Amino acid sequence: MVARLAPLTIKLLRDVWRLRGQALAIALVMAAGVGMVVMSYGMMRSLAATRDAYYARYALADAWVPLRRAPDSLGRDLARLPGVAQLESRVSAAAMLDIPGIAEPVTARLHSLPGAINRLVLRSGRMPQAGRGDEVVASEAFVRAARLSLGDRLPALVHGKRIELRLVGTVLSPEYVYAVAPGQIFPDNRRFGILWMAREPLAAMLDMRGGFNEALVRLAPGTPVEEAIRRIDNASAHYGPSGAYGRDLQVSDRFLSSEIEQLATTVRILPPIFLGVAAFLLNILLARLVDTEREVIGLLKAFGYRGGAILRHYGALALLLSVGGVLAGWGLGTWMGHGMAVMYQEYFTFPFLTFVAGPDIYLLSAGLALLAVLAGAAGAVWRAQRLAPAEAMRPPAPARYSARGLGDRLVRLLPDEPSRMILRGFLRRPLRSAASALGLAMALALYVASASSTDNVERMIALAFERGQRADIAVAFAEPRDAGVVRELASLPGVQRVETYRSVAADLSHGPYHTREGLLGLPRGAALMRMVTLDNAVIEPPQEGAIVSSQIARKLGLAVGDVLSVAVTEGERQRFTLPVVQVIDVPLGASVVVERGALARRLREGDVASGAYLMTDPAQAGALYARLKQTPMVAGVSVAAAAVRGIRETVAQNMGIVTLFNTLFAVLIVAGVTYTGARISLSERARDLASMRVLGFRKGEAAFVLLGEQALLALAALGPGLVLGVAMSRYIAASFSSDLFLIPAAVSAATLARGVLVVALAAAATAWLIRRSADRLDLVRALKTRE
Amino acid sequence: MAEGRVLYRTAGLTKSYGKGASAVHALRGVDLEVHAGEMLVLLGPSGSGKSTLLNILGGLDRASSGEAWFEGLELTALDDDGLTEYRRCSIGFVFQFYNLIASLTARENVQLITDIAEHPMSPEEALALVGLEDRLDHFPAQLSGGEQQRVAIARAIAKRPEVLLCDEPTGALDSKTGIRVLSALDTINREVGTTVFIITHNAVIADMADEVIRFADGAIASHARNGLRRSPTELAW
Repeated sequence: MVARLAPLTIKLLRDVWRLRGQALAIALVMAAGVGMVVMSYGMMRSLAATRDAYYARYALADAWVPLRRAPDSLGRDLARLPGVAQLESRVSAAAMLDIPGIAEPVTARLHSLPGAINRLVLRSGRMPQAGRGDEVVASEAFVRAARLSLGDRLPALVHGKRIELRLVGTVLSPEYVYAVAPGQIFPDNRRFGILWMAREPLAAMLDMRGGFNEALVRLAPGTPVEEAIRRIDNASAHYGPSGAYGRDLQVSDRFLSSEIEQLATTVRILPPIFLGVAAFLLNILLARLVDTEREVIGLLKAFGYRGGAILRHYGALALLLSVGGVLAGWGLGTWMGHGMAVMYQEYFTFPFLTFVAGPDIYLLSAGLALLAVLAGAAGAVWRAQRLAPAEAMRPPAPARYSARGLGDRLVRLLPDEPSRMILRGFLRRPLRSAASALGLAMALALYVASASSTDNVERMIALAFERGQRADIAVAFAEPRDAGVVRELASLPGVQRVETYRSVAADLSHGPYHTREGLLGLPRGAALMRMVTLDNAVIEPPQEGAIVSSQIARKLGLAVGDVLSVAVTEGERQRFTLPVVQVIDVPLGASVVVERGALARRLREGDVASGAYLMTDPAQAGALYARLKQTPMVAGVSVAAAAVRGIRETVAQNMGIVTLFNTLFAVLIVAGVTYTGARISLSERARDLASMRVLGFRKGEAAFVLLGEQALLALAALGPGLVLGVAMSRYIAASFSSDLFLIPAAVSAATLARGVLVVALAAAATAWLIRRSADRLDLVRALKTRE
Repeated sequence: MAEGRVLYRTAGLTKSYGKGASAVHALRGVDLEVHAGEMLVLLGPSGSGKSTLLNILGGLDRASSGEAWFEGLELTALDDDGLTEYRRCSIGFVFQFYNLIASLTARENVQLITDIAEHPMSPEEALALVGLEDRLDHFPAQLSGGEQQRVAIARAIAKRPEVLLCDEPTGALDSKTGIRVLSALDTINREVGTTVFIITHNAVIADMADEVIRFADGAIASHARNGLRRSPTELAW
């Protein structure tokens, strides 16, 4: 016997085939939503799993204990503290490298080779041999970005001593998954690197034989980190500068963890938009289908089909229309996830990162899609199964228009009938019109929110560099220097202006709260380094008291008028209090600022500087860099232009691809909403359009009614879309901001204009597709069918 | 009635759908002359070719072969845009299902045409001609079937077309309403001088025509002049 499909099944399949255009539009929008769920959740899980596996396999420390100089005996004492499972001391130093091909001095962090904690992953070459004092391995990303090769000689300045190092291998470290120079937020792998060498020669260079200046601690399982740190701090108080901290304050892990949180933000915003739009499209498509198939439904019922069969029929249609979306979404999400994994492996230097979403995530995404289908289809499907046969056999009541009311008075202001047709159609279905416009507005908002990330970073650059730190070069000294250093720096080639600053590490507390931060002393009336708030105001350091960043204020529960307790953790270790005179939002950089002279009085010192800001003649940059690389008092140099370039490159690389995808998604939503809307409108207006054509209207004039409606919807979407976009941009900026930096929300007019253009072009291109169908309308058939 | 100038002339007009053995021949070579100002009724069973002819004469469809001329204009040689311009300037249509725009009032439905025509009547004048001067601001859904059809006629004649093509204009109406609609067409033919074609299944209507053309199997079976043209009000069915 030949298997035969039930007639309703055949109808179902033919319906899907007939509606393939709209089905594709809905499936694509749904696929974007499902894909985002799979990608975001999968990526969150993959990043977290990779992080945990990497940290476990290479034994990342639970706590870091930076010290000034401690004898090896302290290490043994600390290792015996309760909760400490394993302790390893190391010697670390700042270094400045002179790398051929890079004009600016390159800063580096130099560590003694690890033993069991923070182990390295050897990527190429070999580890330094014992007894070879000049051999180093370097972070792979740095070697690549600085275009170094194994065997290269690296002239370096360490602790005021000029030495020559030799690169013998490249490595990855779980401690530097995200390697940023102090005070930076984006990695600049070309100008900041991490090096490891044998402990003996490094200790010798730093006069630290028999001692160490940093301890790494692994805690016993179940030990509260806070408690262990308190014990370690107490035990090492005599040797500190700035006290121990856990992974929560470790810069690399903070960035990695905040990235995982950002993915969580993404998954909260984007999938609901896509799935909501898909539900809406499915809703209007099915509602129209049930309207046009009233007679069929009536006939089926008259023949004895039960309501349940009708329900199943249209329900199955809704599911069939979306199943492609779910499958495509799984594919899209997996593909995007693998792509993201490649990107993340560059951005965060993992030895391995595999995108694995897991069946539960695929099921979750399908479940969310199913919810959208239910939400979208329920109304129409329920209406179909409820139709009484006799009622269904009658044509639907003619569209009711009213000549009364505010809406129609508005309509009558329009000069021509086609425009009146458009506006009456728009007003007759206010909900559908509003939902369509909202869908388009979401697309615009998505573009604006995504594309404005570049604006935000540009704004941050403008605030932090063009308004705030206006120096061309910032120099950090290896040791605090007296006032004479200004003359010394001013005599370097091309230096036009020198302003020094003082910074000390301190333990800040207020009531039960405390944190470790730098205290920055700036002169009043400074030109090269100024504090600039997020809203672009320049703040002068007060005569007395401190200005505190909002992040620190939040952490310490500080408000203006409160008193901040300061325990300096270096030098003479003074303790004093500072009244808080102002709390400000700063994009990045100094957290607690005090007037230079006031700080000196508190520290009971003279005119002492920790570093300097230089304004220089760009023409002499080469000569200046060459001299700085040879200047022993300099521990680090940061070149503003290079830092800005580095930020822009990182942003272009990473946000560029994200913005591209979001632009495509925005286009997809616009195309989906416009295509489905125009298709339905074409089906509803086929007779009107045919009438117009028969009456002598040209193709373009008739199409105006159809496409004018879509244009009106797009126009109505612009205002709300821009407002939503700005709001979403602010929300994302706020949720991406952390205690490391604040992202200013600054959507540029150009971004808004581009958003409008993207939406307009996508809508116009889709409308053009529909117009061809409208042009091919069979006039005679459209007119001779009963309404 | 004296014969006026020749308005339409067709020669060997055919229309077929499909190819080869399965081809359907809707018109099998129609030769016809129609004079300006006439009232013509086309009779014939479904599928006999009358609508196909009307669609070709109205510029809604194309012939497969043969020629159709509208005065000096060769319709069979026009492209899509040419046909649109021809419909726009010269032809009014009335269909069985009215085909009014639901979102426009009676007046606006007529205005739709007067806005694009060169020497139109005012919408009010056109609606008065069909007796609807007091229904100007009603939407189609607020009008009866007969009223809707009269709006459709007003819409068709408002641009003062030379020809009015009506395909089953009373097909959806009861006889009393149908006669009102036919009266409107009769008025327009007599007072404005518009050439009117009426396709119908209803042989009674033939009595109001100057000429009656009967179709069978894609060809003209007979083409005769009525000796006496009766007023629609004298008709009954």
